[in-house]
Amino acid sequence: MESFVNALVSALTTGSLYAIMALGLTIIYGVSRVFNFGHGIVAVLSAYFTWLFLGQLNLGLLPSILLSLPIMALFGWLVYRYSINPLLHKPNWEFSTVLFMLGLGILLENVILQVLGPRVKSIPVFFAGSLSIGFVRIAWHEISLILIVVLALVALNVFFRHTRTGQAMRAVAQSIPGARVVGIDVERIFGYTFALAFAATGFSGILLGTKYYMTPHIGWDWMVKGFVIVTFGGLGSTTGAIYAALILGLVEALVTLYLGAIWVWPIWFAIFIVVLLLRPQGIAGGRM
Amino acid sequence: MLEVERLESFYGDMQVLRQVSLEVREREIVALFGPNGHGKSTLLKAVSGLQPATSGSIRLRGQEISRLPAHETVGMGLAYIPEERHLFPDMTVSENLNLGAYTPSAHGKKKENLEFVYDIFPRLAERRSQLCSTLSGGESRMVAIGRGLMSGASLLMVDEPSLGLAPGLKQGVFDAIATINRERGITILLVEQEIEHGLELADRIYLFKKGQILFERAAEEVNVEEIEQAYF
Repeated sequence: MESFVNALVSALTTGSLYAIMALGLTIIYGVSRVFNFGHGIVAVLSAYFTWLFLGQLNLGLLPSILLSLPIMALFGWLVYRYSINPLLHKPNWEFSTVLFMLGLGILLENVILQVLGPRVKSIPVFFAGSLSIGFVRIAWHEISLILIVVLALVALNVFFRHTRTGQAMRAVAQSIPGARVVGIDVERIFGYTFALAFAATGFSGILLGTKYYMTPHIGWDWMVKGFVIVTFGGLGSTTGAIYAALILGLVEALVTLYLGAIWVWPIWFAIFIVVLLLRPQGIAGGRM
Repeated sequence: MLEVERLESFYGDMQVLRQVSLEVREREIVALFGPNGHGKSTLLKAVSGLQPATSGSIRLRGQEISRLPAHETVGMGLAYIPEERHLFPDMTVSENLNLGAYTPSAHGKKKENLEFVYDIFPRLAERRSQLCSTLSGGESRMVAIGRGLMSGASLLMVDEPSLGLAPGLKQGVFDAIATINRERGITILLVEQEIEHGLELADRIYLFKKGQILFERAAEEVNVEEIEQAYF
């Protein structure tokens, strides 16, 4: 019983991290229909930047994080402006953008490997110690992660509903001709979208880096999980992605508890296949 | 107000607009008639910047706009209301209308324009929190026109507003267009298949066939049969 409750708590943390991770993927797909095969490397890159600023430049934890995010946003905008945008104007863009992001991912993974080496790294936890309520033990850090994710999700929601740019992104996601007709510069919005998505994905990478060990290669794991989550939740739907992340976080925790950690990956893939076979549009199957 | 001079445009290798010249004067209602598929929508799209113009000139109040992209012409007082409507389906009526005022030039009069839209389309006021994907054909037409009005445009280019609507609704749409022109002094360039209604509304008409203007007439000097005959 005790371990079950602890597993639930762990599921909440994992689910929250997965939620913010999946959002970056959902945002790009929802607005531009580009499926970001560089999703994993963006998360990893951001975590490594934070680690670098922390360790090598001796900046504090918060400044390191706050510096990494705009860098990732800028990186996203540059990737869009100079690579994705030209590809979108050519035939077969669905395919060429996937290949490009995949290639970029492999390139960056190896750059990180060369520059920073293969040894595992991690980002320190935000708070030490843990809270005990009865038999439940939850680390303060995990509580902070959940709260941070909730705050981030609320902030994103406010952004999409109440800011001009956020509304423009939703407009572009729902109808590109409609967006043009009301005067939205669609290409510029795509650029902002990539910037926002890379920052969100990067943020998730940093958070994941505080809980799990980082290697240059771990991006692919995160990417695959991200794919399963957004497919399960419904491509392009932010609410779907959040629900899916929480559900899958729960599944993962329960599987680890009752079947053993070795079953985690097979179950993820099994879910992926089942969703694609039975309900490929996912839970929400809708749009932003 | 709008002068189109020898406009040409292509879809790939196919020429769609051939040396098209027309003009629309302030506060006028100009109707564009002609058989389907001959380029009337393309003409409107080219003027708004959604379709590239290969040669020729488009001047809005004297300013050359033929090479401008769509998002810039909206800011200059020109709104295009497509036949397909292109609403934002997962947003409410009021969110769609709100987005109509996206350009900075539309901000100032947003409240005033919104009141006007709800005034001429009371149905929209009732349905303001409804998602656009659930609206009927007539209602989504109203939203499309309303969204164009929200941009604060002084020239509205409306592409077949009555297409697919029941007769009662068709009249409503035409009445709304007449009100927009009369009460706000907004200039209208209208593409229509309803020749009778179009002639009633318009001050002048053009006949458009095979990518070119065939002729121009004052609305009172021409009747429905003449126009229908010109289609063939």
